[in-house]
Amino acid sequence: MTTQVLLDPTGEQTTTARTRPARPVSLDRMHVGLLDISKPRGNVFLDRIEELLLTHGCTVERFRKPTFTKPAPIDLRHEIAAKCDVVIEALAD
Amino acid sequence: MNASRFADGFVAVVKHDCPTCVLVAPVLRELVGHGLHTVISQDDPTFPEGFTVIDDRELDLSFALDIETVPTLLKIQNGSVIDSTVGWSRSHWENVTGAEDLGRDLPDFRPGCGSRTNEPEIAEARAIALRIPLLKSRALEFGETEDEIEALFERGFTDGLPVVPPSPRRVARMLGGTTRDPNDIVALVPPDLVECTVEKVAINAVMSGCKPDYLPVVLATVEAACTDEFNAHGLLCTTYFSGPMVIVNGPIARAIGMNSGVNALGQGNRANATIGRALQLVIRNVGGGRPGEIDRATLGNPGKYTFCFAEREHDSPWEPLHVSRSGMRQTQSAVTLFAAAGLHPIVDQLSRSPESLARSLAAGLRSIGHPKNVMVWDAVVVVSPEHARVFREASWSKQQLHDELMALLQIPGSELVRGANGIAEGLPESVAASTIPKFRDGGLVIVHAGGEAGMFSALIPGWAIGAVGSEIVTREVVL
Amino acid sequence: MPMVFVASSAFVEAAAAQSTALGAEPASVFVPHPIQDRSDSELRLLADGCFEELLRAVTSQ
Repeated sequence: MTTQVLLDPTGEQTTTARTRPARPVSLDRMHVGLLDISKPRGNVFLDRIEELLLTHGCTVERFRKPTFTKPAPIDLRHEIAAKCDVVIEALAD
Repeated sequence: MNASRFADGFVAVVKHDCPTCVLVAPVLRELVGHGLHTVISQDDPTFPEGFTVIDDRELDLSFALDIETVPTLLKIQNGSVIDSTVGWSRSHWENVTGAEDLGRDLPDFRPGCGSRTNEPEIAEARAIALRIPLLKSRALEFGETEDEIEALFERGFTDGLPVVPPSPRRVARMLGGTTRDPNDIVALVPPDLVECTVEKVAINAVMSGCKPDYLPVVLATVEAACTDEFNAHGLLCTTYFSGPMVIVNGPIARAIGMNSGVNALGQGNRANATIGRALQLVIRNVGGGRPGEIDRATLGNPGKYTFCFAEREHDSPWEPLHVSRSGMRQTQSAVTLFAAAGLHPIVDQLSRSPESLARSLAAGLRSIGHPKNVMVWDAVVVVSPEHARVFREASWSKQQLHDELMALLQIPGSELVRGANGIAEGLPESVAASTIPKFRDGGLVIVHAGGEAGMFSALIPGWAIGAVGSEIVTREVVL
Repeated sequence: MPMVFVASSAFVEAAAAQSTALGAEPASVFVPHPIQDRSDSELRLLADGCFEELLRAVTSQ
């Protein structure tokens, strides 16, 4: 049986699944980054998360994306990666 | 040119449908004794009589030998063409062959005819056939009894309307619309930031229903839309209404038959419809941007299927958009991308003065997004010919109309604060004493389009401005 | 580096789509939608409510 051939209109991306990095056992003495994606009200939420984190023996550093509509700039991502053991990004709605 | 298949001697290429070829048939018979061993006929294997003619109706040999004119006489030695002549000229033919006194009864000279390889459809079919093996995209195979239109729906490659199946032949034909290499990267398409080649744009342009001569416009549109400044990623992910709108300027618009007149923003014109749609399909299929997934628009708008028109330049009272906004020349062609959230009609049947008509337009512009939104949204004003006439008769330049609108849209803060007018929406009390412009500098764009009858203009609201949102982006269309 | 992102429940499908596309699977924690018109104290309660889940997402507890 003959087949019809059409060309694939997609980018033909084959995504390789990236495995999650190993997580620490606890946050005690960890440096936690809180990344505010800059949607309104996110800072209130993150303020409370920061309060709660500080009771768990970690240090907290706050970061902020310039705009919620674009991915975080390269230099911000590098800074976070260099300084933090773990990052929490919030709050998308 | 590879003549290695031929022995030393002479080869003639002719077509019956050429009076000069008919004229030199007796000369060919004379040359048999002088080394003419092969006659190739482009259209009739029984011509000329008296020869075992090679049937080249498929034109493979003629293409291989680069034949431009018939008759062509080639001198072959050691597998190469070392001399040749075209048409009929006694002196040239005697020169090439070394024979004397050829075609005694013939005139000295008669020009030849065009080779069939140069006929437009044939040249195009050949070019398409040569491109097909070079296509790089993955082949999707469907069984003979499968309905390929349904299959394309099922694979999620459509916007809800059927698409033209992108066969290799159709894509190869589409690639004839550009001189760019099919493997050139046009853009990284959001949201997945996938590399998009000219070939991938061509595939989606075929699916959209474009003709090959629209492809340069589609390529410029994809480039413009995928710039950081236009922010197609953000535009796609927003819950807001907006989608890309394309305004086309310059000679290309007329060359490809775009509509800038009656129903310019509506349906019916193939170029308008398919160019906008091709961008949407590229973002969907190459970029991975689909409603319900990354696209979270609460309501969207019908322009997200396609929104593309040409500015009505030929009788506009003003210079075209790409000239006034981007400093391009009128003879250049360009596309301008704007993140459009639908269309808002303005009716004004009575204003005779430009001041009055400007106030009507401003009254409509005031409510874009929300009457209390200032410095949030951009807008395009599409002024129809009947409204443009009011400004033309008063000799108002586009800049003058723009400045008048901006001045009329300086809004007192007291009208903007939360609670004003019984509306909870608004700005903090701290702005109550200020005056804030509705639009940022550069955020109000004026173009001319539409049919000649109708005292209506259209306001096209935009999306969020600045770094958070989308910048209006213009790109030149390069053929 | 371990990462968790927090989004309102309106984003469940979008998050799944983006993860599939980018091949990255950050841990996600979802809080009930809506966000924009909540008061400060309501937002703090949301934070309290999701904190245990956040800890589980970001440590190997």
